[in-house]
Amino acid sequence: MDHNKKEEILSAGIDIGTSTTKLVISKFSLMNTAGGTHMPRIEIIDKEVIHKSPIFRTPLASGNEIDMPEVEKLVLSQYEEAGVQSSDIKTGAVIITGETATKSNAEEMINHLSAHAGDFLVATAGPDLESIIAARGSGAYDYSKKTNKTIANIDIGGGTANIAVYRYGELLGTCTLHIGGKLIEMKAGMIDYIAPSVKKMAKQLGAPVQEGDRFEEATVKPLTDYMAGTIAAMLKNQLNESEPLLLGHQPGWEYPIDVMMFSGGVSECIYHEANCEATDMYDDIGVLLAKSLTEHPDLANWEWIEPTETVRATVLGAGTQTTEISGATIQVDEDTLPLRNLPVYRIPFDGGFDEQLVRLPQLIEEAVEIYDPAKEGQNFALYLADLPLLGFKQMQSLADTLVTAVRKKPKQQPAVIVLERDLAKSLGQAIRIQHPDQQAVCIDQIYVEHGDYLDIGKVLQSGVVPVVIKTLTFH
Amino acid sequence: MDQAMIEKITEIVVSKLNDQPEEKTSSQEGVKVWDYNSEKPNVTQVSNGSRQAEEAEGKAKISTFHTPEKQIDNKETKAPKQQPDKEVWDDLKQLTNKTPARIGVGRAGPRPKTNTWLQFRYDHAAAVDAVFGKVDESLLEDLDLFTVKTKVTDKESYIRRPDYGRRLSDEAKKEIEGRCRHAPQVQIIVSDGLSSKAIDENLEDVYLSLQQSLKSLGLDVGTPFFIEKGRVAIMDDVGEMLKPEVIVLLVGERPGLVSAESMSAYLCYKPRLDTIESDRMVVSNIHRGGIPPVEAGAYLGSVIEKILDYEASGVELVKKEG
Repeated sequence: MDHNKKEEILSAGIDIGTSTTKLVISKFSLMNTAGGTHMPRIEIIDKEVIHKSPIFRTPLASGNEIDMPEVEKLVLSQYEEAGVQSSDIKTGAVIITGETATKSNAEEMINHLSAHAGDFLVATAGPDLESIIAARGSGAYDYSKKTNKTIANIDIGGGTANIAVYRYGELLGTCTLHIGGKLIEMKAGMIDYIAPSVKKMAKQLGAPVQEGDRFEEATVKPLTDYMAGTIAAMLKNQLNESEPLLLGHQPGWEYPIDVMMFSGGVSECIYHEANCEATDMYDDIGVLLAKSLTEHPDLANWEWIEPTETVRATVLGAGTQTTEISGATIQVDEDTLPLRNLPVYRIPFDGGFDEQLVRLPQLIEEAVEIYDPAKEGQNFALYLADLPLLGFKQMQSLADTLVTAVRKKPKQQPAVIVLERDLAKSLGQAIRIQHPDQQAVCIDQIYVEHGDYLDIGKVLQSGVVPVVIKTLTFH
Repeated sequence: MDQAMIEKITEIVVSKLNDQPEEKTSSQEGVKVWDYNSEKPNVTQVSNGSRQAEEAEGKAKISTFHTPEKQIDNKETKAPKQQPDKEVWDDLKQLTNKTPARIGVGRAGPRPKTNTWLQFRYDHAAAVDAVFGKVDESLLEDLDLFTVKTKVTDKESYIRRPDYGRRLSDEAKKEIEGRCRHAPQVQIIVSDGLSSKAIDENLEDVYLSLQQSLKSLGLDVGTPFFIEKGRVAIMDDVGEMLKPEVIVLLVGERPGLVSAESMSAYLCYKPRLDTIESDRMVVSNIHRGGIPPVEAGAYLGSVIEKILDYEASGVELVKKEG
């Protein structure tokens, strides 16, 4: 891209949560930030939120299904209000969070939205990703980059609490707990619903709370107090495997946590109590839970800070923090893009270049076995990690070996190659010269892990592609 | 750090080294204890025994510049060797990772530690070697580049008379006339400039990758050659003779203490004797720690394509792009 010229793209974030659904649209400004004597480096230099939707109740068709047409109507009406078309949306993510992700039509819903609500809108889900996106939206991630403190972001919504711990902008770990406002619901002063995990916990505590009982703070507060205590234990890495509130893996960060912040619906009641005085707004235990968190003595051990976003942290994270920009010198066959949901197969080169080059065909065969066992043509991205500085001749043999190996796949597919080092253009060029009929997507300056999923958008005017990395999708 | 500062530091070092023997030591194994707090530093000699060592023959001497190329990868040796406790180390690493400058290297009294000091001396020596060294001829042969000279006769005059480095010698003109194709779209030339090491390390990868890139773009490339002891504006003289549309000059950069092997690619649309500096453009910092050489070659192809499209380079190109 030309120096000092800005490109603007629109990004959407849609969060379909247990109790609420919200949407944000933001405008990204891209610019070449490298000096005139350097190769271009395109970066997102500004993100401006141009539309925030109100907070809607998530439309449910029945207890087990999301009302798909209703959600879509809601999204499109917000687009209209913001004055944008689906086709204007060049990047972003739709995330389905908390209990909603367990609904029977969750996957169908999210894929439908991702295909219809934008040019390149990425479908995301999964508790780890939810934690990460919330921490990025709440400002915890930025805080960790600015200070030398280890920070935990605790995002508590209707169904789950998602924790992500950052230090120097680096993710140290995530954890998900069955803690949320809607785990106990009331109707006309009576307890209407208790989530199974909470029932189990209540039994362990010997707390006499049952569906159909009259809602009394005195009987329910011990439960929310226990939840607050569980959060304290989790922060200290002292959670038992048998903990009924634990969802998924145990926490395991190696640094003690210095600071914490809360985001999500419940956090609104922690930092802005006044907004929550109407206890019956959601008719659940959100307010009580906030009270327990504020009062719990163990949680007073950490420094509390206020997030930049409370209830909209996740949707802001999805809309403004999921997109990365590839290196500026890349080589892609444009008609192969966008590519969605590519699993990442990592091939490390730290053991020596020549040795790994010999093993490459075998490794790619293994990757086919893993990601496309039925030979249906599921493509994957090859991530060449720890590449040494390659010379021209090595680059030629790498290109040749890669293409030869990729061609052995059951179906002819574009070769998708992702590099850490700024070498994509030369690799793509070598492939193009040696094998002009092989379609290829070679991008660089992207950091992913084995098992991540990757979506690659269409080439922007600046010559870069937007990339969304997902650490886990449906599991 | 600029050249003047380096020179000043070197001067201080050399004078220190020269001064040392005057405080005669009778025992080589003794330890000098400096009292830094008093106004006039004063040295106490702590002897560790009766063993009298022979007086060292001569003193440490800064050698003349033509040291043979060493097979040491100084990037590897730069990694800090001692690690303080994890927490502090992590914090420090966050800072040191952001710069190749010598920060957080510790000290011994008011001086740098021995390793830091040796590394500094090594890097400085490498920079000097790069300026005064010669490009490996077998590399030029491999790449099929013939060699011509500028009006410069020796390195001393190369440094003192930049204007000589900007003009071809009469023999060079004859040879170019006889061997090079006239008026190609792209003319590649190579010169050692201020770092022969930069050419040794990066030329092959940049050059081959650039050739490949130009080929895939379908551009017509002239007969490339090597110019000994050239400066950037030598391209004007070449342009005047061969009349190419674009010249790309791959030239060794003035070495620094971070890298002595950094190469630049200067590009210009129709360089002639009346070309002004603002029409030149450059992709600099091509070396293992900067822009990877193969990638630089591939990227240069697209820059050349743009120059040809707009029929302009440098500031003029920026203006035309709008």
